[in-house]
Amino acid sequence: MGSPRIIMKLIVAGIHDEPGDVRVIELKHQRKPLLPTFEPGSHVDVHLPDGKVRQYSLCGDPEDLSRYTIAVKRESSGRGGSAWIYDQVTPGAELPVSAPRNHFPLKESGGPVLLLAGGIGITPILAMARVLCRQGKPFELHYFARSRSLAPLLRTLEESIGAKSLRLHFDDQVDTLQDIEGLLSTRPSGAQLYYCGPLGFMAAVARVSEHWPDGTVHFEAFQPPVQDDTAPEPFTIVLRNGTVVPVPADRSALSAIRAAGVLLMASCENGVCGTCECGYLEGQPIHRDAVLSNDARSHRFIPCVSRATGVLKLDL
Amino acid sequence: MTWQGNLLHIHIAPAASYEMEELAEAQLIAGRGIVGDRYYLGTGTYSPKPDVREVTLIEIEVLEAIANGEPKIPGFKRSLAPEDHRRNLTTRGVPLNHLTGKRFRVGETILRAARMNFPCKYIEELLGMPGLYEGLLNRSGLNCSIEVGGVIRPGDPIVPMDE
Repeated sequence: MGSPRIIMKLIVAGIHDEPGDVRVIELKHQRKPLLPTFEPGSHVDVHLPDGKVRQYSLCGDPEDLSRYTIAVKRESSGRGGSAWIYDQVTPGAELPVSAPRNHFPLKESGGPVLLLAGGIGITPILAMARVLCRQGKPFELHYFARSRSLAPLLRTLEESIGAKSLRLHFDDQVDTLQDIEGLLSTRPSGAQLYYCGPLGFMAAVARVSEHWPDGTVHFEAFQPPVQDDTAPEPFTIVLRNGTVVPVPADRSALSAIRAAGVLLMASCENGVCGTCECGYLEGQPIHRDAVLSNDARSHRFIPCVSRATGVLKLDL
Repeated sequence: MTWQGNLLHIHIAPAASYEMEELAEAQLIAGRGIVGDRYYLGTGTYSPKPDVREVTLIEIEVLEAIANGEPKIPGFKRSLAPEDHRRNLTTRGVPLNHLTGKRFRVGETILRAARMNFPCKYIEELLGMPGLYEGLLNRSGLNCSIEVGGVIRPGDPIVPMDE
């Protein structure tokens, strides 16, 4: 089960705009000079006034704990959280923010690191690049955007890590285009791949890195991959103590389990944060999350979005 | 048993998992809780489970023992600040474990001790302090109801009523 994180009422200490409808928000603690430590790849949960929770990667320097920096892209077609933050949050405002959590850590490895970011997916990748750069480790960051004028955090990126490791690819500049299939066709010895970006980018990188060995490819998605459009079917959950919990077609496994009296923490309820993760003992789950690795899918389950056929026995 | 102690700190949190905030004075409402606290508002981790949690207390003596490394718990060497333990009131000189079922005064208010608090794994995960659960066993304070409400402040005397 995902562990709970302390929630702090942070103050918006600074706001500035970046290209591509992105607003960078700096958050400080009201009383404490230092915030909890974080590793590159970490995100925080931002708690919105309507009770919703949204995850944002920390894109600042993990060595500077006087502030957390998040970048919010205004998505008018999204679920409303980012639009609310973009439109309503002003300097001095108070935002409830969880301590950081990391589902996208840099692995200890001696080999080269390949970082791929598409658009706003630069946020966790930027924090990783800052740390790799400081440690003097070999890495290459490929940043894909529609054009230079629409690429968020580009200046910060250029100032923080320099040109040596940075490769920029803009759709409107033919000489910068990069064929990712070619980029990933041969895996350099010992290399690790990390990528983050919008849905189409995620799907493309997943496809062309399929031949990389298990454990060498790491990613973070903003939303689960486009799902099959089959209608959800009812199924049945059995708890460890034998309690039978029917899950109707129009209800999530998470809400059915909670209604049965099990205290289960959850956060995004969209299959990306991993807070409600639990184990399953028997059955055929239909995984619809964007958190679990292929290995984990054999015994773990994300009840906020995933379903099952027939009977699923959970380790709860 | 004769004893007299006092109130050192008052902390509340607006909802489950939120950081505790220290107060210079607090309003206790009989039968409900501390104004602004999660168990007054019904937003606590355990709010859905009926129990007495209007006010929770813990001894500073326990925090001092933990800071001194007593008892020794493998892999655990940390101190627990009054704002981290998630109880509302931090006391000195009050034998909390002996008060179950008894009434006592905190300043102008009267509390009735319902049961000894039991530590939870939740706080261990929340604070990232493995071993804390064991460190608080049998000394994680007292859950009380409020019989007579009022305003309390750090420094208020805490005295027994029922002998």
